[in-house]
Amino acid sequence: MLKLDHLRKSFGSLVAVDDLSLEVVGGEVFGLLGPNGAGKSTTIGMAIGLLKPDQGSVSLDGAGSPADPAVRRKIGVAPQSVALYDDLTAEENLRFFGRLFGLGGSALRDRVLAVLNLVGLEPRRRDRVKGYSGGMKRRLNLAAALIHDPPLLLLDEPTAGVDPQSRNNILELVTGLAKQGRTIVYTTHYMEEAQRLCSRVAIMDKGKILCVGSVDELIASHGGKSVVTIERDGESQRIDTSDPLSEIARVIGDGKQLRGVRIDRPDLESVFLAMTGRSLRD
Amino acid sequence: MSAVLALAIKDLRLLGRDWANAFFTFLFPLLLAMFFGWVFSGMYGDEAAGKLEVALVNLDGRPASAAFAKDLTDDEALDVRPAATREEGETMVRKRQVGACVIIPKDFEDNAGSIFAGKTLEIEAVVDPTRSAESGLLTGKLNEIAFRQMQRTFSDPAAMKKSFDSARASLATSEGISGSQRTLLNQMFDSITRTTESFDTGQPGDGAASGMAGWRPIAVKVHKLESTATGPKMPTSSYAVSFPQGVVWGLLGCVMAFAVSIVTERTGGTLLRLTTAPIAKGQILAGKALACFISCLIVQGLLILLAMGPFGVAVPNWGLLLLVVFLTSFGFTGLMMLLAGLSRTEGGAQGLGRAVVLILAMIGGGSIPLFFLSKSVQMLARISPFTWATISIEGVLWRGFSLQDLALPGAVLVCFGVGGYAAGVYAMRWSSAA
Repeated sequence: MLKLDHLRKSFGSLVAVDDLSLEVVGGEVFGLLGPNGAGKSTTIGMAIGLLKPDQGSVSLDGAGSPADPAVRRKIGVAPQSVALYDDLTAEENLRFFGRLFGLGGSALRDRVLAVLNLVGLEPRRRDRVKGYSGGMKRRLNLAAALIHDPPLLLLDEPTAGVDPQSRNNILELVTGLAKQGRTIVYTTHYMEEAQRLCSRVAIMDKGKILCVGSVDELIASHGGKSVVTIERDGESQRIDTSDPLSEIARVIGDGKQLRGVRIDRPDLESVFLAMTGRSLRD
Repeated sequence: MSAVLALAIKDLRLLGRDWANAFFTFLFPLLLAMFFGWVFSGMYGDEAAGKLEVALVNLDGRPASAAFAKDLTDDEALDVRPAATREEGETMVRKRQVGACVIIPKDFEDNAGSIFAGKTLEIEAVVDPTRSAESGLLTGKLNEIAFRQMQRTFSDPAAMKKSFDSARASLATSEGISGSQRTLLNQMFDSITRTTESFDTGQPGDGAASGMAGWRPIAVKVHKLESTATGPKMPTSSYAVSFPQGVVWGLLGCVMAFAVSIVTERTGGTLLRLTTAPIAKGQILAGKALACFISCLIVQGLLILLAMGPFGVAVPNWGLLLLVVFLTSFGFTGLMMLLAGLSRTEGGAQGLGRAVVLILAMIGGGSIPLFFLSKSVQMLARISPFTWATISIEGVLWRGFSLQDLALPGAVLVCFGVGGYAAGVYAMRWSSAA
């Protein structure tokens, strides 16, 4: 569906993206993870045609570069900052964006209602966006990306700054969209979201892809060992092990009284920290 | 519906939803036009207006001074108000109730009858120093009226005889004149006396019955310049002057509202959504330009309708007026694009508006009508598109402009439109959406 081939982009002396290649398969949810300044936004910008790469190419569904307005019909973008007109109603926002994609008449009207129902905002469709909560704005932001029914969605941190209920609602929406067969490129700082939603994940840093694969593959190859925490009277013991169950069985077998046992299996966050380090990024 | 039209309608809808912007774009120009129309009211189409107000103090009170005072009062250029004393008259000047105080001295009658005896017909005027141009008018008027006084003397043989007798008596006792000079002057007086006695006589001072009554060594004829096209050459009312000013402020409002809107789209993130839509960047800018153009048409249309309706401003040529409205809207849309291209933040757009556009509006007829400004300022104002808009609108409304007369201002406005649009597009760096 989306092919990024040896992309390179510099801003002055800063190399934001350095020889990056990716291929997103149709129908998958692809996570693009990385710390601040890793080059994710620049990569997304080139993928949707906003930025012209210094080298390399972007191809969408074999139809050409997203720099071509006609190719951009296949892409729906929900940017990280909510991109809506506060003084327009939800319905007016969606009708306007729909017109930009060539929709009109009853087709546009029906599509607007369908999308509003999908994101649960139909009862508030005639309210101006400036009166919406953060969660509602995020859902409408997603709705605007869906108005023209694109096969490819780019969702840039769609749950940033929302409450847990809204976040869960959005994640369920994304899951539903994936089940419809849409291809989704998803960027997030929340590892549990990527682990929950993404079939494949790429971790990037300093403009390069560090690793790509399914969540399970990445965890197995880069996640490290599980940590078993054994709590006895007055002491707590942490054991790194690749076979936590066997380790627990051994501990139980030594006859000592146990107060608690916890297994921390490696997860995507472990992979992320292992690949990118624990130091703060300015 | 095309993307450009959709973009324009969206922007117009947003303008209507922003009460502050809508007020300054559509309502404030109306209020300003009405205010300035009221400020300048009475200057046009009203005979009582436009006169120089003067106080008159007559310290003499005798027939000659009374005749002089009557001439002053009857003069069409003056609005004369009596004052009992010099102090009262000067107080009226100080309090700006009048522009000047004319004082007829108490020996006016004596001097009027002895001008050939070396006496000077003196009139004193105390003027407001802030109205120096009008003091020139007053000086001319006083000279004119004083000359009429002389004319009366010449037209009345009895007065002439009395004046010459006074002159002869003064001559007889004067020590500074030689005998030969005295003889020559007496001969001149005798000659003039014989000449005037030979004229038909009527009532003393009755210029119409006297043979000298028609004697006027200088005659000044004043004609108003004939218009070569239809329409008057002067405003028919003060609102014909103030409405072009209102248009200037309306156009300023449109320019600022839409220039800031492009920046707002960039900083608010919606520009990113627009640039990821299947439309060209030129279409996005065209949508903005179309919205600004339509707003300029609307604000000018509203002002013109209001001017015609309640304020009775006549429109001599509808075709030319519509052309001017179109060209003005086009020119200012270009100015908006330039401003938008140069602005990176909302603060920057506002600052550029205050520093540049507001000044251009003020020198271009937005604060004081162009024809009130000095020549040097009018020359400087030619760099302002507002000047050419004001010239065009005034030209059609009350200066009787023809299509040829509109060629230059129209061409300048088109250049502003095309040049501003091109420069604005170039200045907007589209390498990144945010």
